[in-house]
Formats: sequence, C-alpha cells, structure tokens
Amino acid sequence: MDSKVRFKLNGEHVTMTADPLRRLIDVLRDDLGLTGTKEGCGEGECGACSVLMDGRLANSCLLPLAAVEGKEIVTIEGFRKTKRFELLKECFTEEGAVQCGFCTPGMVLAAEALLSADPHPNERAVRDGISGNLCRCTGYSSIVAAILAASKRGEGLW
Amino acid sequence: MVSIRRPVRLSEALYIRQCEDTVLMAGGTDLMVKYRAPAGARPSFTKDVVLIGHLKELNYLKVYEDVARIGAAVPLARILEDASVPAYVKEPLASIGSPSVRNLATLGGNICNSSPAGDSLTMLYALDAVLTMASSKGFRECDMADFIEGPSKNRLAKDEILIEVAIPMGAYDRTFYRKSAQRRANAISKVSFFGVASVTGGKVESIAMALGAVGPTVIRDRDAESMLKGIAVPGRREASDRALEHIAGLVEPIDDLRSTKTYRRRVALELTRHFLEEVVGL
Amino acid sequence: MKDEARIGKPMRRTDFDDKVEGTAVFTADMDLPGMLHAITLRSSAPRAQIARIDLPALPEGYFYVDHRDIPGSNVMPSPILDQPFLAAGRVNYVGEPIMLIVGPDRQVLSDILKDARVHYLEERPVLSIEDAEAATGGFIYADKPYFVSYEYCKGDFERAAEEAAFFIEDEYRTGYQEHAYLETQSMLASFVDGNVTVYGSMQCPYSVKESVQAALRLGPENVRVVQLPTGGGFGGKEDYPSIPAVHAALASMKSGRPVKLVFDRKEDIISTTKRHPCRIRIRSYIGREGTIVARDVDVSTDAGAYAGLSSVVLQRLSFSVCGAYDVENLRVRSRAYATNKCVSGAFRGFGGPQAFFAVEMHTEHIAERLGRDSLALRRSYFLEQGDTSSTGGLLSSPIRLGEIADALEKTSGYSVKRALYSNSAAREKRMEGCPTPLKGIGISMFFHGCGFTGSGEKDTLKAKVKLKKNKDGTVEILASCAEIGQGSQTTLRKIVARALDIPVGMVVHRYPDTGRCPDSGPTVASRSVMIVGRLLMDCALEMKGRWKEEDFEVTRSYTYPEGLCWDNDKFQGNAYPEYSWGGNVVEVEVDPLTFEVKVTGVWGAYDIGEPMDDRIVAGQIDGAVAQGLGYAGMEVLTVEAGRVLQDNLTTYAIPTSVDFPRTVACLIPNPYKEGPFGAKGLGELPLVGVAPAFAAAVGQAIGKRILRLPVTPEYIMRLMEEEAEDGF
Repeated sequence: MDSKVRFKLNGEHVTMTADPLRRLIDVLRDDLGLTGTKEGCGEGECGACSVLMDGRLANSCLLPLAAVEGKEIVTIEGFRKTKRFELLKECFTEEGAVQCGFCTPGMVLAAEALLSADPHPNERAVRDGISGNLCRCTGYSSIVAAILAASKRGEGLW
Repeated sequence: MVSIRRPVRLSEALYIRQCEDTVLMAGGTDLMVKYRAPAGARPSFTKDVVLIGHLKELNYLKVYEDVARIGAAVPLARILEDASVPAYVKEPLASIGSPSVRNLATLGGNICNSSPAGDSLTMLYALDAVLTMASSKGFRECDMADFIEGPSKNRLAKDEILIEVAIPMGAYDRTFYRKSAQRRANAISKVSFFGVASVTGGKVESIAMALGAVGPTVIRDRDAESMLKGIAVPGRREASDRALEHIAGLVEPIDDLRSTKTYRRRVALELTRHFLEEVVGL
Repeated sequence: MKDEARIGKPMRRTDFDDKVEGTAVFTADMDLPGMLHAITLRSSAPRAQIARIDLPALPEGYFYVDHRDIPGSNVMPSPILDQPFLAAGRVNYVGEPIMLIVGPDRQVLSDILKDARVHYLEERPVLSIEDAEAATGGFIYADKPYFVSYEYCKGDFERAAEEAAFFIEDEYRTGYQEHAYLETQSMLASFVDGNVTVYGSMQCPYSVKESVQAALRLGPENVRVVQLPTGGGFGGKEDYPSIPAVHAALASMKSGRPVKLVFDRKEDIISTTKRHPCRIRIRSYIGREGTIVARDVDVSTDAGAYAGLSSVVLQRLSFSVCGAYDVENLRVRSRAYATNKCVSGAFRGFGGPQAFFAVEMHTEHIAERLGRDSLALRRSYFLEQGDTSSTGGLLSSPIRLGEIADALEKTSGYSVKRALYSNSAAREKRMEGCPTPLKGIGISMFFHGCGFTGSGEKDTLKAKVKLKKNKDGTVEILASCAEIGQGSQTTLRKIVARALDIPVGMVVHRYPDTGRCPDSGPTVASRSVMIVGRLLMDCALEMKGRWKEEDFEVTRSYTYPEGLCWDNDKFQGNAYPEYSWGGNVVEVEVDPLTFEVKVTGVWGAYDIGEPMDDRIVAGQIDGAVAQGLGYAGMEVLTVEAGRVLQDNLTTYAIPTSVDFPRTVACLIPNPYKEGPFGAKGLGELPLVGVAPAFAAAVGQAIGKRILRLPVTPEYIMRLMEEEAEDGF
C-alpha cells in the first residue's frame, strides 16, 4: 500500500509516494536512479549502501522508507558536489584508496561522517570510523592514509 | 499485506499496540535482517510494523547520581557520545556492530531482540537494570534479569512498548568487559563477560558479573557473587575458585556456526577468572 | 634510472573518477528499456533426483526458464565437461541452479520463488575427501571418486628414499575460502534478432562468450560480451560468470526482452566457487648428514560437485608444493575428489596458498627436528639460477631468494625477535597463567608461476592483442583484459605509452568488448602485465616505427619464449615461463584468555621483476596480505550435510579496517627479459605466503605445531589444551 513519505534528499525536499515498507536502498536506486548507493550484502554488514542520515552514517538496506520521514538523506550523488568531497577524492587518488570501486562511495561517506564528528582523528579513530565498510581489495591501509591526509589538508573544511 | 505505521506520539503507538498484533521497530538493524527478502522485494514481515525509533517520548537520556535513565529508542551512538554516561556502561555498547549500525540501533532494540549474545545485556544484567514498559493501561517495571526468557523470547506483552531502561549507578572501582568474536569490529560475540566490583577497606563490598552467549539467556550467578562479598583483597584464590566452580555449573553453551561449546565454556571461565583474580585481586 | 623517468612512478588511475563519484555503471546499475529481472530457483538438496517441481501459475509477462529452454549444449565448456548450466533432472549440490523466474517486478519474482516447490528423491551425498575415498560405487563423476589423479617424479625418488636415514612426516588441512568480492555475480543480456549481447561482471569475456555460444547454439558473430566495471574478482569471476551469463541470455531469448540477473549475497556464497579445501601429506627423507634427500607428497583436494577448474588448480598446487627449495628427489601424487558441495575453483593463488602452507609448516617442523634455525635451513635449500624446478624445468633467470630473506631480516628484525620470543625464561613465565600476551614471529618463502600452467599460454590461450592508431594521434588498446580493480587499464596504458614515447593520456583502453577486442586470454594467473603487456609493448614498438602513417592497426600473437619446453603427459619441463618470488614475516600476540590472535606486524619482500606502478603494486600487496590473513586465521566456512553454514557477510567474516596493521613491503628488483620493461606477475604472489608466516608465528607463540587452516581461536585452544594434558 503506497503512502507519502517526505524527506530531504541531497538538499532538496522530496515527497515519495511508495510502499513505506520498501527499503530505502531500493527506492534510491530503482525509483530515483541514484545508483551510486550499492548493495553488497543487504544485511547492514558491508556498508556499500551507506548514506548520511541527518549527517550520520546509515545503511540504506536497513531502513524502511517510512523511517526516513522528516530526515535529511545525503547520497554520494549529493555529497560529490561539495568541497569536502573534492578533497577526499584527491586524497583517495593520491593514496591509491580505490581498486574495484564498489565500496568506494560508501567509504567516502563514512569518511565524511567521521570527519564531521571528529575533524582530527588519529589512525585508530579512522580505522574505527570505517570499520562497518568492508573493502576486499585494498586491505584498508590506503583508505586510512587517504582519510588522515584529508583531515590534515582539510583545515576549516570540517 | 502487512503495512508499516509511523505513529506521531507514544499514545498513538500504544493505541495501535492495544488494537492489533504488531511488531515494534526502533532502529531496525536486527529486524530488517531477520525479515530480509531478495533485493528489490519488501522485507517479509508477517505482522504490521510499528515504527517507534523517532518517538520523542523514548529519546531522552539523563544520568542522575544514582541512576541513568535511558529512553528505549536512544541510539547506541548517542549513549556513547554522552559524557555523563560512565565508561563501563559504554564499553559493551561500543562493541556492538559498526558505527553505522550504532547510529540506528537502540538500547531497547538490543534488549527486545533478546539474543543470548546481545552485547548490552551482560552489562544490564550485572548492573541490575530495570525496564519500564508502557501500555494503554499504564506502566509496569520489570527487572532486566526477569525480562528475557530465552533466545528471542521475552515478557513484552502484545500491547506493551518498552520505554525506558534505568541503570543504577554504582561506585565501582574494578570493571572489566571483554568479548571474543570472529574479528575486532562488526561481529557477534562468541562469548562475552561483564564484571564490576567495588573494594573498600581491603574487602569486596559489591561485585556483579554476567556472561553472554553461554546459555539460552545471559547468565548471572548471584550465589557465586554472594560467596565473594566481604572477602579480603588481595585474596588467595580460594574464594574465586569456589565462585568459579559454581559458575561453571551454570554455563551451558552450544556449538553453532560461530564457535564451539568447549571454546565458549573455557573462555567464559577464563574471562571470569581473569576478572576475579587479576582485576578484583581475589 | 632517475625516479622521474621510471615507468613505476605512480600515476592517477584512469578508472578512478567515476568510481569515487559513484557514476561508474556496475551491472546492477545498468538499465535497458523494457528490461526484466531474473531470480534463480536453486537446489536445497546436496544430491537428489528431481521428482517434480510444483510451480505457481505465472502472471502475464512472466516466464520460467529451465534446461529445456537451452537450444544448444547444457554443459559448461571446461577442461572436463560435466557441469550443466541448469539442472536437468538431478542436482549435485545445495545452491545448484534449477530454473529461472523472469519478469518485470522483483517483488512478484520473490513471491513466485517462495511458492515454487521442488520435490527431491534424495540420494546419499558424498560430503568429504574421506567419504569419496571410501566410496566403492555411486560415484558423482564417471566411474571413479575423483575428477583427476596426477603423479610426477624428479630425480631417483625410490632410491633416495630407500637410502635415507629417517623421515619426517606431516599431514596438513586447509579450509574453504570465499572470495567475498563486494559486488555479487551480475549479468545483463539482450537478445535481439538472433544476436545476443551480454554485459556483466567478469574476468574473462571470451570464456563467457564461448559458454553463451555453446548454450544458445550461436555463432561467434552472434554473441558479443562486454565487461562492465567489476566489483572485485579474485578468481571468483574467472569461470563462474559463464553460468549467470548463459542464464540471462536464455531468459532474454525466451522473453524477448533484456534481462538482468543480480545475485543476492546468500545465493552468491552458497552457489559460487571457493578456494579448494585440501589435505596434504608430506614426508621428507633425511640423509645421514642431516640433509633433505627426498620428498614424497600426497595431495587431495575437495573439488565439489563438478570438475570446473579443479584439474588446473591441482596442477599448480602440485607443482608448487615442494616450495622454493632445491630438493633433488621428489614424488608428488595428487587427486581432486568429487563431493556433493559447491564447486571449488579459482581463487587468487590457485592452489599456491595451500601448497605453501603445507611445505612451509613442514619446513618449520624439519628445522625443529634437526635442531636448526628454520630460516638458516631454508637458506641452505633456496633455489638458485641454474637449478631445476620440481618438474625439472631449468630456472634460467637470476633468483634472489637470499636478498628477499635479507630484506625481511632488515625490515622486521625477524631473527632477533624469533630468538627473543623463544627465550625459555619468557616461555616459562607465561606458562604460569600470567595473562600477558604470547608472542611469536614467523617467516615464509614462496613463489608464484606467472601465466598459465604448462603449455597453456602456447597451446590453449594463444593470446592476441591489437593496437590501433587513430587519426587524432590517440592509440587504443584492444585486448580482452578485464579491469577488476587491479589497475590493468592503467598499467597497460603506461606500457604502451612508454613504448611509443607518448603521453599516457593519448592511450585509450576501454572495458573489453568481444565485438572489438581480440582474445588476449582470461584475466587470471598473474598474466595480464607479463603476457598481454609484453604483446602490447611489441605492438607499440612496431607502431613507433610506422608512426608517420595516419591510422592503422598492429596485432601480435603470443610466441613461446625460446628455451622453454613442457611435456604435459609426464609433467616435465618448464611448468611456467617465469616465476615471481617472495617472503613474508608475520608477528602476532595470542591472547591467553580468549586465544584470539592479534597481528602486530606484517612484512613482505617481493621480486616481481619491475613494478609498472608503485602505488598499484602497493595496493595489490596490501589487499592480498589482508585476504591472506583472513584465510590464515579469520575466515571460517563450514559445510554441514552439504549446506554452507556461513552464508552471509555477517557469519562469513572477512577482515575489517581494525583487524590488521599496514604491511611493510619492499621490492627486490630483478627485471625479466621477456616481460614488458622487465615486469613479471604480481596479483597472486602476495597472498600465497601469508598463511604459513601467520601460522608459524602462532606456532611459536603457543609452542605447538600448526597443522591446519584457518588457525581459529578454537583450534589454538585445542592445541594448548593438548599441551596441558601432556603435562608440558
């Protein structure tokens, strides 16, 4: 049974008329064409489907659409328009933090959530901050280095 | 076809609970996995879902001198960020899931999921947490230890909603939490231990311990704890040996896809021994 | 050479921007007009005849697809022809595809799948190597319990064994490993007017093409396969993708609409290939002077329900299992047993990780028995230039194992720590139950043969590449190499640009499309840079000489390097055109309360010839080491009664960011004359030796010999309890 769900998506107010029990990831990908959000496990384990909900990292495969009523959701499509993204992108390339790329959008959003809460994390905090985002290619070290570099170079951004 | 409801107020949620057989969802991090369907299909709930994570009435956190009162729908991340919550309460919560899971998952949800491996539960058992349930008839309190009956089974009535978790605050000078799992983050416990004690005037004044994932529910051995009260510290291990022997009689783990019963049993007792002998000094 | 001038100087990856921005179109992200979805009905029985299938009536616009819809061959093209694309009357493992349900709405597909009922006449399954060995009839494959059985010898094994003073013997076991690529198997097919185009996640476009041609009975000109960005492969997308590709193609043919098939994580784990579990028995014969005079190895792998690539995995395993050591007399016997479990297949290392775990742990054991330092013992047997390999092939290039070991010593302080951690006073102290962590450090030495095994490059693959110069001065690489995250689109571009002496930006390399690209072979076996890169370099050098011409193409085919030979019946000669070499050191602490292992240091030293891009090389090493550590101690996959117990990423735990420290790696330069700018293979090498170094470290920490993988806390506890019972 469809109903209306209102929320803010990438800075714009949207009203979705859809089955509110459907997962946010399906609504984002199938209805809105926002395919930067990936499905890796469907169980909140891998973080490929990460989005920001009210500025915090959340797994869009664990959210029924009804649960985002009144919330602010940011996907990679929204975040990639920001200065913070530009810096993270540069640091990710300089450290070689992308291989197959499937985890990358989620990983970038995890970095954003982490740096918003703690602009100057140490390595331990960075590792903790991305511990819900699985990557099978890089062994994480380059990703950790990229986030630390962004924190160092991003004075005033976060 | 089942639906999902998003009541605006607690009273509305309670009214729905009174009228219909429903399933409550706070953060959804357990339920959305339990009822997951193939990608692109709706989760396979068999009852109407009532969302309660957003309810203001369940989203307060207040730490008083003698008790911390935590609304059932407060996400774990908020508890971890609150400077007034003592570290020994936070430690097991920080070991649950990943940052994104802790942003959604709630304390009430971890309790009502009622898994013997629920990582908040050992702490709540040991600290004598008290749960408050609301229904349209009024409020009811229940001790944490009486609430869970077995794996995924608890005493929440069909018309009730868990609204508050009250954790008594004690002056503990010895605390220890440890979980063993397949990896260091984002993992379900194979076995876990939570213990607190206070030692004054060279004697154990209070002590409480709970073990996770070694029985159908969290195990707390009050008899063993009484054996230890008043014992001189540093001790000579006699009291701790007796207590351990008693606890060993209650531990009844199983083999499953995460670990073995022999490992769980051995590690549960090793962790208990470590707490008693190395942390408390018995 | 000045750093600026080195080809290895890192450059920005060419597949970077779209991936980080989330605009890279993976298969699940692709949409074609009128596209339908497919979902797969799979076997829930490990071994059974299908008595009947009760299916709900379909709404309009929905289709069932089963084996009767296959116009061509229902057998997957493989070295051994036994695996159906869709079960025809019987199933051999839980998860085997039986039929597809196709239609526009995934909710409806999911509901139909729930209502479909398969009735089985169950038969007694074969569930382990031992089950298979004991069987006298009722075989899964033909008239024997195994798919293949091999034997080869070197020197005069019988005589050397007879004359030895004594022998040292071990039996090792290794478990499954799941690839756990982040993107599940995904395919999209569009069948229009007798032609089909398949888009998808894969390592080997031409293998997919061959399968689709065979199943749909289409000519090569009627099947086009296009690789899309692929979310990790690691061998899991070597042969397996042919199955979903054929499924999607059949579904599109039947429905007349494009069809997308994306696996759920659970079905991906239960139905796709895994690293072979195996049992390896090694017996080393020791002469009167305390030297290793001969070795007898017996390898058994658990190959699962169908042969797949088990024969070639077993060959690589068998050729590697004598290690990086010169032992004159060898006998190696090996078998790949059929069991009613998911199909074991290709996984980064391709038999190497099992082989080196066994031989390296066995080397530790020999050193212990002979009272020698294990690294010193290794050094005295290191293969050198001019020696012969286990199959008697001349090793004609310089071998720098000694320098690899020296580099590891220098970076990790291995020998000092090894001595410190075995200090008996420290050991005794921790035996008193003092809860300080138990420390250990371990080393391993290993190699990986680059390219296909035996004469595969020459006789099977016959790689072809094309380089095309356009009017605008750009040059396009046309080869079937898949970019699966390993950076091949960047490294191959660099090789061509360097050979042509033009900016890398002038070289174009798109995802492979069999409609345009010749078959340069599969993206496997650490062969892309060394084999395909070399062919492209040759094309580029020719192109450079004709640079004045406006637009033209240059093609090259593989030629077998001079001086190599291979006898595929006797397994004699050069099993590989060249080898990459490496060593690892792993340092651990074992928690005496929980028996959990904390990795406190990882070091690696590798000879990969010349690096083509330092940053890509570092990324391959970091990732392989993490995957190797997962294999060594964390990743547990058990199959009980034919059912995979850990069937999601919650229960099948792969490493997270907090589990392991950064690998300290260094490269030992050793340019290979046949490789492009000196390059050899890289992708697999850094995984193969991780587990033995980890296991040796744990072994030292707890004072026990490690005989199996994964080294779980449960296993460590059991070993330590044995110790207590021994009164040690």
